[in-house]
Amino acid sequence: MARLDETERHVVLDLGAASTSMLALLGQCRCRVEIADLAHFGGIDRLNTAEPGPALPAAANAMLPNRLPDDAFDLVFCWDLPNYLTLNALSALMSTVADRSRPGAVAHALIHYSERDMCEHPGRFVPTADGDELVDCHATHATIAAPRYSPEDLDKGMSPFVLDRARLLSNGMQEFLFRL
Amino acid sequence: MFERVKNTDDGGESSDTSRSESDKTFGALRSKVGSRSNDVAVIGSSIQINGDLRGDEDLRIEGNVTGTVELKNSVLTIGKEGKVTAGVYAKSIAVDGETKGDLYATERVSVHVNARVQGNIIAPKVSIEEGAHFKGSIEMDPAAVEKALAKTTTSMADKPDARTKSGNPAKKVADTKVIPPAKSA
Repeated sequence: MARLDETERHVVLDLGAASTSMLALLGQCRCRVEIADLAHFGGIDRLNTAEPGPALPAAANAMLPNRLPDDAFDLVFCWDLPNYLTLNALSALMSTVADRSRPGAVAHALIHYSERDMCEHPGRFVPTADGDELVDCHATHATIAAPRYSPEDLDKGMSPFVLDRARLLSNGMQEFLFRL
Repeated sequence: MFERVKNTDDGGESSDTSRSESDKTFGALRSKVGSRSNDVAVIGSSIQINGDLRGDEDLRIEGNVTGTVELKNSVLTIGKEGKVTAGVYAKSIAVDGETKGDLYATERVSVHVNARVQGNIIAPKVSIEEGAHFKGSIEMDPAAVEKALAKTTTSMADKPDARTKSGNPAKKVADTKVIPPAKSA
C-alpha cells in the first residue's frame, strides 16, 4: 500500500466488503474505489452456480460495479475470496476484471494453504492504520474444507493475471501478488 | 503487500474514525425526529413517493421513495425503515436504511452499520461503518469530486424548478405523487 504513488490517480477494485480503515488508507491517495462486496451481494453463489459458457462471464460482469469510461483498475483486492470460488468461476471473474484493468495492474489474494479448513464465510479484512497488517474482524468458528489451491491452480484461475510474488504468512495463509 | 494477517472474533474494529462532527449532527437529528421537530420533515414508513422530491429543509425518509431527491442545502437522513431508489443530491446524507442510486453530497455521506447501499458516492467526505453493506464506487480524488459535484449542480440548475412558479422558496415537497399503502384484504 505504501507504494501507491500519492501524486497519481489510481482506480482500485475491492472485491470484499467496504471497510472504514481501508477507505481511510486509500484516502491518502488520489483514487476512486470500486467496491463489489461479492460475499454479501450474492456474487459467490451466482458465480459458482452459473452454467459454463456465456452465462459465467455474464454473471461475473454483473457482479462488478458499472463500468465507467477512462477508469481502468490499477489495483485489485481479492482478499480470501478465491478460496470460495471454483476455479472456473474464479477464472471468469478475473478475465472480466482484467478486461477492465490497465496493463501492469496488480491483484492481491490470500489463499488458505497450511490449514485444511477455513471459515465458512469469507473474512472481512481491515488494515491497521500503518497499512502493514491485516485483521480478519469477522472470523467465525464454523469451518469448511479449504480448497488449498496450488500456485499452478491459481495461475490458471487468476489468468490473465500472472503470478508476481508469493509468501507464507504467520497464520498459515499464503499471500499472492499477481500482475497483468 | 501487508505484513501480517491476524484473526480476531472481537466483533469488528472500532469505527471511531467515522464518528466525526458530522455524525454527531446526524445523531442530534435522530433525537429530534421522534418529537416531530420543526427542524426535520419526516416521510413516514407507510408513505410511498414516486417522482421528484425537492426542498430546502432537513428531511428524514422512513418510507419508500423512487425518483430523485434534491435537498441542495439540507441534510437528508434515510432511516432504518427507509428505502430510496433514486439519485440523491444533498448537503449531507446519512444512510441507516436502503438506497439504490448515486449519492451526491457537497459535504459528507455517512453509511451507518446495517445500511445497504448500491450506487456511487460522490462527496468530499465519506464514511462507511463496519457492518454496512455497500456496492458501488467512491470517488476519493478531491479534484474529481469537485468536478462531478460542479457538473451535478449545473445540471440541477438547468432543470425547471417548482419554486419559480410561485416565486417563493418551496417549503417542503414538490412534484411528488403520494401513494397510500395498499389495504390488506
